[in-house]
Amino acid sequence: MRKTFGTVIFAAAVEGYLMKKNNIYSIWFAVPALSLFTIFFIVPMFISFFFSLTVWNLKSFTFCGLDNFKLFFTEHSMNLSVRNTLVYAFVTCSVKLILSFFIAILLSSSLKTKNILRAVVFFPTLVSTIAVGITFSALMHPTKGLFNVILQSLGMTPVDWLGNTKLALFSVAFTDIWKGVGIATVIFLSGIQSISRDYYEAAVIDGANYVQRICFITVPLSKPARNSIIILALIGGLKSFDLIWTMTGGGPGFATDVLASVIYKQYAAGFYGLSTAGNVIMFVFITAIVLPLQRYLIKKEEQ
Amino acid sequence: MKKFVKTAGGMLFACLMCGGISAKPKKTTLTMLISRDQPMSGIQAVCDSAEKSLGIKVEMEVTSSGTDLDNMVKTRLASGDVPDLIVYNTGSLLAPLDPQNNFINLSGESFSPRINKAFRDSASIDGQLYAIPFGLSQAGAVMYNKKVYKKYGLSVPKTWKQFIANCDVLRKNGVTAIIGTFKDSWTSQVLFLGDSYNVCKAAPDFPAQFEKGNMKYATTPAALRSWQKLADTTSYYNKDYLASTVSDGCDKLASGDGAHYIMLTDNVLPQIASLYPDKIDDIGVFAIPGDTAEDNGITVWMPSGIYGSKNSRHVEAIKKFLNYYMSDAGLDVYCSALDVISGPMPVNNYTPKGKRVAALADMEAYYNAGKVDAALEFKTAVKGANAMNICSECGSGQTTAEQAAKIYDEDCRKQAVQLGLKWK
Repeated sequence: MRKTFGTVIFAAAVEGYLMKKNNIYSIWFAVPALSLFTIFFIVPMFISFFFSLTVWNLKSFTFCGLDNFKLFFTEHSMNLSVRNTLVYAFVTCSVKLILSFFIAILLSSSLKTKNILRAVVFFPTLVSTIAVGITFSALMHPTKGLFNVILQSLGMTPVDWLGNTKLALFSVAFTDIWKGVGIATVIFLSGIQSISRDYYEAAVIDGANYVQRICFITVPLSKPARNSIIILALIGGLKSFDLIWTMTGGGPGFATDVLASVIYKQYAAGFYGLSTAGNVIMFVFITAIVLPLQRYLIKKEEQ
Repeated sequence: MKKFVKTAGGMLFACLMCGGISAKPKKTTLTMLISRDQPMSGIQAVCDSAEKSLGIKVEMEVTSSGTDLDNMVKTRLASGDVPDLIVYNTGSLLAPLDPQNNFINLSGESFSPRINKAFRDSASIDGQLYAIPFGLSQAGAVMYNKKVYKKYGLSVPKTWKQFIANCDVLRKNGVTAIIGTFKDSWTSQVLFLGDSYNVCKAAPDFPAQFEKGNMKYATTPAALRSWQKLADTTSYYNKDYLASTVSDGCDKLASGDGAHYIMLTDNVLPQIASLYPDKIDDIGVFAIPGDTAEDNGITVWMPSGIYGSKNSRHVEAIKKFLNYYMSDAGLDVYCSALDVISGPMPVNNYTPKGKRVAALADMEAYYNAGKVDAALEFKTAVKGANAMNICSECGSGQTTAEQAAKIYDEDCRKQAVQLGLKWK
């Protein structure tokens, strides 16, 4: 995904340079960064486009046209994985957005313990994803896990968090939200705190109540923060792999397979050309979702 | 600053000392990549004794298993960061590693004729041998708790129908009939793969025709039967089978919470023997039943192989180590370090020394009667890369046997295309 982001920045830089006629800085200032970027991002990207059209064993290759793409789209778990990727990305993104907004409002108020609470909310972000995954899959164990032990002691029926094929993806999404809500809160907090106090004071004088102040001042004026959260969380969700792999391994069966885990498995099987094709598909897929969305959000922001 | 100089000086001195000491006996150090799923006690003993008698020290790098191991091995072979010795599967997983370019050809070594034919076939590409057997061979079969069987008056089933009837009795009495450990998703395939004996008895030319792409699982009734058996088991598993691991499965079988565990014997028997030494003799083994009682045979797996890196700086030392491993002395060291002997060694005219488990006699009965066949993955290079996921999907009731067979055929086609076989 760094690719997409990088490409956007790269395009913007070139565009910016061409448009300005009187440049203060020489273009040579950009050369070190641009050359690194070209060597490590642009060149591999085009190489990967090429190898996605071959049967490749890393030493030799035979050209096979679009067969890899055809094969990838007939892959049994492919349809499911596209759906899962979308569901996962939108669920985690929207829940993170809503939750972090309310937490940020709470933490920007004049609570006495807000500094401690801020640290607590941010804490899960600092823990390694793999550790979080292992911990939560232990907590979600159907017979020995803490969650079900609590449920049972309250007299409720235990839930098969990661074994139920309809629920497993949401259990992982829940963990992702737990882990990712901290960073979204921090972004929101900085956005909310940069809003000038003057607006609130004026609104109070006009007789606006608390809810009105949030709806008509905080929400519209924290738009830039909200947009970055949407883009970051969505991209994070679309390319998500590590948490899913540690918690379910794409299973049971293929029930929680996402694009990235399908590609990983193809690679493990030694299908290098095929997995490269999968990466190209994922690249196009994410770009096709994120680029228009980003355009749209920026446009709305400027209005 | 002073402190830093002191520490740095000390470290330098220590380094010089170490260098001085280790240079004297001229020890060679070899690196070995091994999965944490492999039994460790035997190989550890051989390495220790090799260090003493050969002056070859083996440093083990213990790593993950399953898909992650495949990825690790392939990436390291491709990037040139190759350990001197690799412990890895034989059979269908070997061909994609490009052994001709990566591994030492062992065909000419003096131990080569000692290795039994079944293993030699599964560790060879184009008739050239690339690995020595890591340990004991094993069966993919049903392990059962004899005490539970006795308590409910059951007898060892000879047909699949009888097996399911036994399971019904157990379920009625609140005992887990079949232990499932799908959290380790590769374990879900053992029933399907272990049914190979029955498939090949009913359709003897299946492996050859399957490799050519002429026979498919979905359209060959004898082969489809394996998927139907897998689908039959869905309702008999323990409640938490999707979250259980192999270790959980061993606990359940030993304690009698579960009656049957369909698994590779080497993943279960040594573990039970070391954790529950008083329970190991309660465990028996029978083959995955077919449809007729007359022809009841067992499917066997070759052990992983130890491969030597062709591009290593220590090729001679690697060969020396492998020769030692395959000598009577080396094999004796290996076997006597094991807690128990749970299967035959794939070496001609060699009887493992050590403590035998009761289940070994059950397995030997099949061997002695000649009712043994190697698993399909040792007969053809085509094995669907997603077999474990397709099996756990079918075993957990998400797909029917017919659907799963079709999906698996499609998965195999993908593998065949990558191997350069001409499948339609």
